[in-house]
Amino acid sequence: MARLNDDAQWIILMGFLISFSFFFLALVINQSTVVGQTTAESVIEFPKNDIRDVRDVIGNVVMRVPYPQNVTVYKDITVLSMNRKGSVVEYSNFIAANATYIQIHYNNGVTEYNENWTVL
Amino acid sequence: MVKNDNGQLYTIEGFAAALIMVMTAYLVVNATSVYTAGDTHINDMQLEALGSDALKMMDVAPNRTDAETPLQGIIRTDNYAGFTTMLLNYTNESGSGPRHDIQFNASYTCRDSNNLTHRIQFANSRELTGGEHTVRATKWVIVNKPVCLMVGQDRAVLLEVLLWRD
Repeated sequence: MARLNDDAQWIILMGFLISFSFFFLALVINQSTVVGQTTAESVIEFPKNDIRDVRDVIGNVVMRVPYPQNVTVYKDITVLSMNRKGSVVEYSNFIAANATYIQIHYNNGVTEYNENWTVL
Repeated sequence: MVKNDNGQLYTIEGFAAALIMVMTAYLVVNATSVYTAGDTHINDMQLEALGSDALKMMDVAPNRTDAETPLQGIIRTDNYAGFTTMLLNYTNESGSGPRHDIQFNASYTCRDSNNLTHRIQFANSRELTGGEHTVRATKWVIVNKPVCLMVGQDRAVLLEVLLWRD
């Protein structure tokens, strides 16, 4: 390669490497916000508070409200859950050997939750 | 055939220049569509958790000898002003500092004898215009009250609170 000045070849190669590394850094930074988004969305979608709340109210009803009115509250909970929250809630309870047994079923189409709850 | 490779470095330089320009264009185009915090639903999640926690606290009796929780009393006596004060105390205040600009619209739903649901507008800090970006926090409340035209007895009603920031 006569008369060709190739002194700067290494500089150009390093320039390549650096620009590639910038490119990948930009990709990584782009992804970081999306990670926060998917986390927040999955937290919103998961019915943690719904399940806690329905457990809470069922526990209260079973321990406090006597049986004939218990049926009214049972219908309240099942009908309102379906109409306002789009979730199927069922529960049943009985007392045996000084313990109260409660079965809770919750299903909102995405998340299902079943529990056998024993209250001594 | 005379092999002339005088242009090799210029070609490499051209490649480098093209890459730099493409990357610059990529960065610039990306910068216009950058995710802001509002797009990521993180503050929706926080507002919903805050609302659920506030309702939970309102449904806890201060003393175990209390016959009913503050929230049960509020719904039983239709104490709209008390609900507004208490909810905003838990969500909107931060000591004596600035407010959090949280607004709410609360209603509760009950079931009648035909298993139809009725929504009863309860309290709000501002009218809903439809343009708000709201999140919903809900709480089951057991209340001894003749709701939905049925006789007074223990009933479960679903309290729903829409929360948004100004």
